[in-house]
Amino acid sequence: MILRLIIVYLRFLLIVGMSAGMGSQNFLWQLTKRTVTGALIGITISDRYVTVSSIRGSSMYPAFQTTPATFPGSLKGDLVLAERFCLEKYKFSLGDVIIFQGPDNHKRNLVKRLIALPGQWIQIPESSEMLKIPEGHCWVEGDNSACSLDSRSFGPIPLGLVKGRVTHVIWPPHRIGAIERKVPTGRTPPY
Amino acid sequence: MGSQNFLWQLTKRTVTGALIGITISDRYVTVSSIRGSSMYPAFQTTPATFPGSLKGDLVLAERFCLEKYKFSLGDVIIFQGPDNHKRNLVKRLIALPGQWIQIPESSEMLKIPEGHCWVEGDNSACSLDSRSFGPIPLGLVKGRVTHVIWPPHRIGAIERKVPTGRTPPY
Repeated sequence: MILRLIIVYLRFLLIVGMSAGMGSQNFLWQLTKRTVTGALIGITISDRYVTVSSIRGSSMYPAFQTTPATFPGSLKGDLVLAERFCLEKYKFSLGDVIIFQGPDNHKRNLVKRLIALPGQWIQIPESSEMLKIPEGHCWVEGDNSACSLDSRSFGPIPLGLVKGRVTHVIWPPHRIGAIERKVPTGRTPPY
Repeated sequence: MGSQNFLWQLTKRTVTGALIGITISDRYVTVSSIRGSSMYPAFQTTPATFPGSLKGDLVLAERFCLEKYKFSLGDVIIFQGPDNHKRNLVKRLIALPGQWIQIPESSEMLKIPEGHCWVEGDNSACSLDSRSFGPIPLGLVKGRVTHVIWPPHRIGAIERKVPTGRTPPY
């Protein structure tokens, strides 16, 4: 589909160039080059450094909230800023909020808080069992336990599924601010 | 002023070229080097006996398959190791979600959970794969290997090899 758009756009450039003369053809060409370069820079930054994501669901209430779409034009969920610098060396801290591909549904990204890292022992809620987080995995849970599909259901997730770390809420304006690191107490024994 | 302008043009073109290269490599097609012998004879590594030689095969991997996660049995895929996310592994796709697979050297059948797949290396004796770490989430898959592009005498497409007798037909 993108190829078709490109072909249509090139034909448009040709027609404009032939009818309106060399000046506007050159201008359009400059504009095209600048747009494509800008898009490339945007794509690279979003893939590798910083990206914006929209939140759905209430598993991280009250850190992230979604409003019911009662009036047209309103955004359904918070917009957050997620950084991908942490993926260079996989440097996370307990209590970080991370975005990751669902282990059961790879087409959907989930947002949860990091509760335990590889090698730590974690107490499974509502049970007296302790579980050791395997190498290369981590345990995630939503702040709003009642509505959260997280590691309590699908177990520890491989760190390779992590796609970024949420640092700020950037929309709606009255909730703009940094996300605090909230380390849950009493879940993992100290080393 | 002339050479300053020339350097600036050169810089702009190099940066744009690098951006295009990075975007293509991240999203569409990339080149990877193979280590280890878990996929012998499809991919081979030569011992570094003479200086300057590449240690392992270079392969072409496409990432178009990640758009809709469209894989076929027998494809060779690259994925992040479930136990070691810093290292990518290359294995063959043996079973997809919902299929039943017979665990080797055992009479147990295992159903591949939703969103997961079973991978094994062609060279079973030297392969760390799903027989050790179980089914892997599809989210770990980073690309599909289509061709070997180095060394020259082994340039060619990778064939899809579906193993027989491992998964019962639907």
